[in-house]
Amino acid sequence: MQQRKSCVAMLLAGGQGSRLGILTRHVAKPAVPFGGKYRIIDFPLSNCANAGIDTVGVLTQYKPLELNSYIGSGAPWDLDINTGGVFVLPPYSKGAEGEWYKGTANAIYQNMAFIKQYNPDYVLILSGDHIYKCDYAEMVAHHVRNQAALTVAVRRVPWEDASRFGLMNTDADDNIIEFEEKPAKPKSNNASMGVYVFSWDKLRFYLEQDEADPTSQNDFGKNIIPTMLAAGEKLVAWNFEGYWKDVGTIESLWDANMDLLQIPPPINLHDRKWRIYARNVGEPPHYASSKGVIRDSLVTEGCEIFGEVVHSVLSADVHVCEGARVIDSVIMPHAVIGKGALIRRAIIAENAVIGENAVIGEESGNIAVVGSNTHVEPGTQIKAGEQLGE
Amino acid sequence: MKQDIVGMIYTGERVDELQDLTRYRAAAALPMVGRYRLIDFTLANMIHSGIKNIGIIMQKNYHSLMDHLGSGREWDLHGKRSGLTILPPYMSRENVGVYEGLLDALHTNMNFMRRSVERNIVVTDSNVLYQVDFRDMLEEHLQSKTDITLLYTKDRNVRRNGRGRYLDIKDGRVERIEFDPTIPRFENTYIGAFIVRRELLIDMVDRAVASGQHHFSRDMLAQMVTERIYRVGAYECPGRVWEVDSVQAYFQSNMDFLNDTFRNQAFRDDKPVWTKLRDEMPARYLGDSRVTNSLVADGCLIEGTVENSILFRGVVVKPGAVIKNSIIMQDAVISRNAEVENCILDKQVTLRESVRLIAPSSYPLVVAKNLTI
Repeated sequence: MQQRKSCVAMLLAGGQGSRLGILTRHVAKPAVPFGGKYRIIDFPLSNCANAGIDTVGVLTQYKPLELNSYIGSGAPWDLDINTGGVFVLPPYSKGAEGEWYKGTANAIYQNMAFIKQYNPDYVLILSGDHIYKCDYAEMVAHHVRNQAALTVAVRRVPWEDASRFGLMNTDADDNIIEFEEKPAKPKSNNASMGVYVFSWDKLRFYLEQDEADPTSQNDFGKNIIPTMLAAGEKLVAWNFEGYWKDVGTIESLWDANMDLLQIPPPINLHDRKWRIYARNVGEPPHYASSKGVIRDSLVTEGCEIFGEVVHSVLSADVHVCEGARVIDSVIMPHAVIGKGALIRRAIIAENAVIGENAVIGEESGNIAVVGSNTHVEPGTQIKAGEQLGE
Repeated sequence: MKQDIVGMIYTGERVDELQDLTRYRAAAALPMVGRYRLIDFTLANMIHSGIKNIGIIMQKNYHSLMDHLGSGREWDLHGKRSGLTILPPYMSRENVGVYEGLLDALHTNMNFMRRSVERNIVVTDSNVLYQVDFRDMLEEHLQSKTDITLLYTKDRNVRRNGRGRYLDIKDGRVERIEFDPTIPRFENTYIGAFIVRRELLIDMVDRAVASGQHHFSRDMLAQMVTERIYRVGAYECPGRVWEVDSVQAYFQSNMDFLNDTFRNQAFRDDKPVWTKLRDEMPARYLGDSRVTNSLVADGCLIEGTVENSILFRGVVVKPGAVIKNSIIMQDAVISRNAEVENCILDKQVTLRESVRLIAPSSYPLVVAKNLTI
């Protein structure tokens, strides 16, 4: 018998993230690099660590190799403990049959045995594609105070954007009275963040019921929440204030990186009380040569800058050769920007090599992307919004 | 692959010429190259030579060293089968906890050597920075059929008038050894690392201590060489070697890392140098930042000018501030329009607005930890 836990977190990290195009062709979305030294999954995992939630199941399915090795023992997030820690939970065969995760709810359903080991009071459901700092402990406390069956984290979005989100219409006491998925005429601007706290007994009951329904899509938003509402369960909203960004598309991933360059940045990563942890890359401090220029940028360890870097975010071990210019761009780990190359409004993925005098992206327009391990021939031009890579 | 070598690092060197830099820390704990401590480079040599059982002999002021090493996790030295063993000084009947030299220290920590199972042992000082593969050294040691093999360099960078240990080597054997000569006669400098069969070292140390010796090289090694009791071999350390034994040497050894050649020698993709983590965000460049020929660690916030300098983690450079030819340790704050040149600012130093701190280039000025100027 495992030590009992008050709250266990389940992180849904199995989605392909197909809207990220070639960036997620070889890795799962949560393993995509972000903000110079992080990967997207560092945010929910660090939030768990900071909130004192020390037992986390990470549900993987799509291209899990890089994600699994990144999570490893969980040591970077202090999640390598005896009485809990981080566990990668891939789909597995049960008896005669094995099956992929059919939906978000089904993924949790298939791992109920994992949760049962800890016999928790509450289960926190997270997803691996958001950049935010959030004290889940406060959210759980809100859930307990309200004696809710389910608490949904919501944030207020501008009214004009509201119809793009799943909306939680609430009464004056934050009770959820209606759930609308991307309605044409929104009645509220409380957008669900896809972060849920369930009371474990309720979660178990509704997951089992949902699984027995062959017509269900086994999805939290589409099935579980509407069913619980219809059954008259107490569903409450918890208002999250602070920076939150879905980085599910090329544009939003680029945007969120650029947000870090604002003064002051809308999300403080320099917060000593709420650090975002990441796996150590073992690189020396970055070197800024006398031939280079760095302005309005984030640059991390292992980088060697001999060219010009303006308003960009550089990950570990990026080499910018002489005469190269990197402007308004995101460069992921170990990429090499060849001599004289010009990178504007682009994302260059891991280990990409940009040949001399190549021109990637344009001054305006959509974001250009070069995929991981891609070698761009010298002199190549990649226009705004184009993607190159395998 | 695991090698049949156990490592021991002696951190008890007395380095008075490092002034305030070693007032509260062992030389092994000196902050180096923006995010490291000196011992990280020694540990990297051992780890990348397949050495997984490492004892670290502590002497005085070892708090910062202990804090740095922790459980040894960052170096993957927190295993069950082997890993890092901290060997702090202790008092016993024949030992008051203060080592007169390496020999004393080895004798006091004989248990660690006895308990280890590896056939060979590498013992190193901790205030010399170099890159060596101890596997190659062991191979040469075994092939040359010597009893003990010393690591040396021909690098003139570590020669000091009136100080040091110099070897006369013929056909791979140490013929003569000289201590602290006014002007060294031999071109080979012993850099404080040797390899020997573990049980032979235990025997050597036992005998030497029994005959009243305290110093490993000065007493024991000198006797070995002159009386030819043992065959003393030598292995040349490839590449640049830095001995960090004075403020100037400290300054230069750091500054040398602004040179691509030396940086590439020390930081190879296949041989990372591990260190304790701080989980800082990447360095931020804002406003009129102008940074040239400098190393900048994570967590820095730069709005001013930095030239030919090394910035450790979390340094803040305000608008109008100018840093030239300096080493700025972690969490220092250089306020608006302050200027610093040819200085070494220890941790958490604050320079107030418009303060000018300019030392001559030949004699870098050390500003002690936590000072506000």
